[in-house]
Amino acid sequence: MTLKVENIKVAYGMIEALHGVSFAVADKSVVGLIGSNGAGKTTALKAISGLLPLSGGRITLDGRDINGLAPEAIVKLGIVHVPEGRRIFPRMTVRENLDLGAFTRHRDATVERDLGWVYELFPVLKEREEQLAGTLSGGQQQMLAMGRALMSKPRLLMLDEPSMGLSPIMQDKIFDLAREINASGTTLLLVEQNARAALELATHAYVLDTGAIALDGKGSELAHDERVRKAYLGEE
Amino acid sequence: MDILLQFFINALMLGAIYALAAVAYTLVYGILEMINFAFGELFMFGAFLVVSFMLPQVSLFGVMVPMPGLPFLLAAPLAIFIVAGMGYLIERCAYRPLRFAPRLAPLITAIAVSVALQNLAQSVWGAQELAYPSFFLLEAKPIQIGGAYISMVEIAVIVTAAVVMTALHFYVKKTRMGRAMRAAAQDVEAAALMGIPVNRVIAMAFIIGSGLAALAGIFYGAVYLFAHPHMGFMPGLKAMVAAVLGGIGNIRGAMLGGIVLGFAETFGAAYLPNGSAYRDAIAFGILILLLLFRPQGLLGTRLPNRLADRGAMAFKGSASAIDAGLARLSAFFAGRDLVRYASWGILAVVAVSVFFIFPSPYWARVFVFVLIYALLASGLNIVVGFAGLLDLGFVAFWAVGSYFTSILFVEVLAKGYGVDVSSVWWLFYVNLLLGGGLAALFGMMLGYPTLRLRGDYLAIMTLGFGEIIRLVATNWVDLTRGPMGIRGIPVPSLFGYKLGSPVQLYLLGLVLLALAVFLIALMVRSYLGRAWVAIREDEAAAEAMGINTARYKLYAYSAGGFFGGVTGVFFAHSQQYISPLSFTLFENILILMLIVLGGMGTLAGPIIGAAIWVVFLEVARDMPFIQQHPELRFMALGVLLVVLMIFRPQGLLGQKRQPLMMS
Ligand SMILES: Nc1ncnc2c1ncn2[C@@H]1O[C@H](COP(=O)(O)OP(=O)(O)O)[C@@H](O)[C@H]1O
Ligand SMILES: [Mg+2]
Repeated sequence: MTLKVENIKVAYGMIEALHGVSFAVADKSVVGLIGSNGAGKTTALKAISGLLPLSGGRITLDGRDINGLAPEAIVKLGIVHVPEGRRIFPRMTVRENLDLGAFTRHRDATVERDLGWVYELFPVLKEREEQLAGTLSGGQQQMLAMGRALMSKPRLLMLDEPSMGLSPIMQDKIFDLAREINASGTTLLLVEQNARAALELATHAYVLDTGAIALDGKGSELAHDERVRKAYLGEE
Repeated sequence: MDILLQFFINALMLGAIYALAAVAYTLVYGILEMINFAFGELFMFGAFLVVSFMLPQVSLFGVMVPMPGLPFLLAAPLAIFIVAGMGYLIERCAYRPLRFAPRLAPLITAIAVSVALQNLAQSVWGAQELAYPSFFLLEAKPIQIGGAYISMVEIAVIVTAAVVMTALHFYVKKTRMGRAMRAAAQDVEAAALMGIPVNRVIAMAFIIGSGLAALAGIFYGAVYLFAHPHMGFMPGLKAMVAAVLGGIGNIRGAMLGGIVLGFAETFGAAYLPNGSAYRDAIAFGILILLLLFRPQGLLGTRLPNRLADRGAMAFKGSASAIDAGLARLSAFFAGRDLVRYASWGILAVVAVSVFFIFPSPYWARVFVFVLIYALLASGLNIVVGFAGLLDLGFVAFWAVGSYFTSILFVEVLAKGYGVDVSSVWWLFYVNLLLGGGLAALFGMMLGYPTLRLRGDYLAIMTLGFGEIIRLVATNWVDLTRGPMGIRGIPVPSLFGYKLGSPVQLYLLGLVLLALAVFLIALMVRSYLGRAWVAIREDEAAAEAMGINTARYKLYAYSAGGFFGGVTGVFFAHSQQYISPLSFTLFENILILMLIVLGGMGTLAGPIIGAAIWVVFLEVARDMPFIQQHPELRFMALGVLLVVLMIFRPQGLLGQKRQPLMMS
């Protein structure tokens, strides 16, 4: 599984938000995408998952063009996007949310087994199986959003700001879980404003600045980069 | 007690019909946040098709055609099946291309589809009622319960509705597709990210919704024993009200809303003073109260405002988009002045020379109508075109102006005090201002409670308001003379010199129109106009930019209302007769369509639209085919508008405006 994003441009109406962005996600790796608010991180993820059309460039999965495919086709190819702000279905139960995650796999007998695995990863979801998702806490909703995405058995999981709005303890927990998911063989594309944690986890990271890639390198290298430390890690 | 029981049965039956159709509105609204006005017409098609299939022969397009004469139990499913297919086609052809267009576009398209379908039905089946043939449900003897009677049809309606609703409940709760539908209703984007084929889900919602609307129409026809091209109009509106009542998007809410409305209407008509005359107003009265006090509906939960969320997120982009839009607007007004003045000059020359070219009083009278429609369209265009608020109650302002001056001149001065109205000729000119002012005040009153509402709710609320005004004009006979209307309104005059000939009226109207366009241009070029455009493009971003959106929406309503009122005064005196028949929702829709035709949010668009339409109506009068099927003109307009919305949303005249795409 290799995802390549090549020189993509995305516009909202007349306003271009990405001006030719390229990056690659290697199999089994964790790739970080960091940048300040409004840099275009979410836009990039939406372009990959088929929610936004490209106005230039291409996106390939294992060498095959995927731009122009409908979102459901992209999910079937094994790329799933956990959107910013969780976006769970609030008036459905936890279990119904998870079942919808497996929507594309309705004839797959291994869904039950994967549900067991998700419950193992997030025991709290099992406890609250019959509860309406809208009544969960922020951290639990994030877990549900991740669990729901995992139910589609993705090869590439894209997380958009999973730690946003969570307590520091809960943030650590979410990053630990992300690590565990990666260890089980799922490739991760991690978008974060919490650059420190993202760089710690990432094998490779890209810095996005107003719609273009400004820097890239190994996660550990970027964490020590002068410019990154100043701009994104809040250090002097 | 018996009578109570009888009312109870009637209310339940009516409520069941409303509930079926309300679920149709709610299913589609839940996912697309769009009111599919066309469900009212699909309701009507259900009734027409079932009657046609049951009869041995039917006159279609005026030609007797043999029909299979199917039994009801075969004809009904067949009709439902066909209407469901129609619903699918409408979604596919008219709505899907507009999925990412500004919110107003699908709403207007839905209205246009509705107009097209209604007039299509009139072409096919004629303007008369088509009677239901007798069938087993009608022949069965009513059952007596206590002192009340319940007919087999009523039992069938109530039982079938209960069964269908239960099945639907099961469908959305338990099946894969049904769950997907609920997910899409809660968050379309997140649903797409889960691999749910959103387009298929939407198509499914239209198919099921259209089938339900057809079923409701079939029953409605069976209860009242007829099918008619306009039969879906009122029930459609009421079902929409029922859906809002229950909390639009909420299926159980729609069922409850339908039943509540059935009861409110039945018991209100029976027990409120003058209730049966105001029967149709009950639904709209409830609607307005509801939107004031509990806008999320009976069962709706107050959702986090998606608009506000997105506004915060997309603020930077949208704000700059609006800046760009405003810059273009300024450029439009500054840079191309010469061309613009030249074209206005040409328009003025054409307008003045019209009566030299068409010297007959007949054509002058036609052109007076062009002016009246142009004035109305210009006023409505402020609200719809510039501020982007869909207003379906605009005719009420027109009515207010008309009735104000007519009652004052005819009922109060002439009849009440025996004044010779020609001695107070100047009052007409004063009334133009007073009538306009009164209507503007009404605009404020209407606007105030709707400020917090989103665009589509606003549309329904204004619609309810317009209908109530019309019903008052029809039923408050002491004040308005009711359906007979007010006669003998004096023609405008100047120092005792009557301006009664069509050409004189035309010139007077032309002066009014020129003044109106001048005033509107002043407003649009000022900060006011910029605020309106900002609200139209992205309300949340406009708010974030520090524009007090509530206040500017109110200004838009009152400005639009003012011109509506002025037109009303001119209309009353130029026609010398008014009646409630002039101020219908259909007229409102027509004015709206003329704006879209010419170009929304432009100064000349409404005038061009009005001119094209009124002249076309006259010219087409002589075409033989049109003589037989006059309604085809309206159908053509509906179809043309759908095509325009998809391929040329800026109208015939408007400049191509880059759409600001916001997901
Ligand atoms: N729906 C939208 N409409 C218009 N502009 C948008 C929309 N969403 C995002 N933008 C703009 O695109 C740019 C990138 O936004 P985004 O991808 O959300 O950034 P990030 O996720 O890095 O914070 C921003 O300038 C933002 O204002
Ligand atoms: Mg983002």
